[in-house]
Amino acid sequence: MKQDLNPLQQVGRMDGMTVPDGYFRGFAERMASELPDKQPAVVEMPRSLWQKTRPYIYLAAMFAGIWCMLQMFAMMGGTGVSGAITPDNNPVLADAIENDSFMDDYYYMAVDEYDLYDDLYAAGMDWNKFMYEK
Amino acid sequence: MPETEMSDLIARLRDPEEVRAAFTQVIALYTEPLYWQIRRMVQNHDDANDLLQNVFMKAWASIDNFRGDARLSTWLYKIAINESLTFLEHERKRGGVSLDDETTMLIHSIEADEWVDGDELRLELRKAIVALPEKQRLVFNMKYFDDMKYEQMSEILGTSVGALKASYHHAVKKIEQYFSGRS
Repeated sequence: MKQDLNPLQQVGRMDGMTVPDGYFRGFAERMASELPDKQPAVVEMPRSLWQKTRPYIYLAAMFAGIWCMLQMFAMMGGTGVSGAITPDNNPVLADAIENDSFMDDYYYMAVDEYDLYDDLYAAGMDWNKFMYEK
Repeated sequence: MPETEMSDLIARLRDPEEVRAAFTQVIALYTEPLYWQIRRMVQNHDDANDLLQNVFMKAWASIDNFRGDARLSTWLYKIAINESLTFLEHERKRGGVSLDDETTMLIHSIEADEWVDGDELRLELRKAIVALPEKQRLVFNMKYFDDMKYEQMSEILGTSVGALKASYHHAVKKIEQYFSGRS
């Protein structure tokens, strides 16, 4: 009866499991043949001073470029660093306004809308056809 | 393997020219112990074979990270145990089985296992072992079948030697009760 209470002693160190014949034989070679090739290790080169500072320099250049662009837009829109450009503070503009030829050629419309209608009417255009034709 | 030969093997594992040959030697050395460790957890030969190959693939993939501060066997055993436990968890989820029902799942595997020597008592012992909680099962297998030192088990499982001794003692008691209950 004591033997029955000690099944571990009866069994010993065997677990009762087996493997297919020849399973372990040649396993190492088979396994090794399936191993992928090792990639060469990537050697990290030390970063130079330029590589370390480059991102900040690029950032500063970007902001400088944005500032220049804003200045350019401001100048084109008629506002300078010191405020709006007016004939009082801009001699070139004052000169242009006093020049009748400049005002006639570049400022006043040479042709207005009624002139266009007159020309079209004179050319015999059918308004109904123009307005309602799809 | 003598300490000097092991140091030499580890050094060769770190040499890109010799790593493949050295790793083949590692496979030859540890195939059987790792296989049985895995097989005693998953019970099925085909699953154990797949997991064993996964273990060596993972070890190969991370061989560059093996610093040699832990023993090679400890490192490989850790990978094998993690693979086994992950597999069992996956099987539980696949079958919608809870941790408590894992015993039933494993008993089915044991009864369906064709690679056995036919000894009824050993079959019953396997069933008694799978009734143990996972970690206790690991401790019992490593101590009883592999006669592993508690210190090495402690390195592998990350548990104190005292806890391992208590766990093993408890596992033995449970197995004896299992057989007492059946007789």
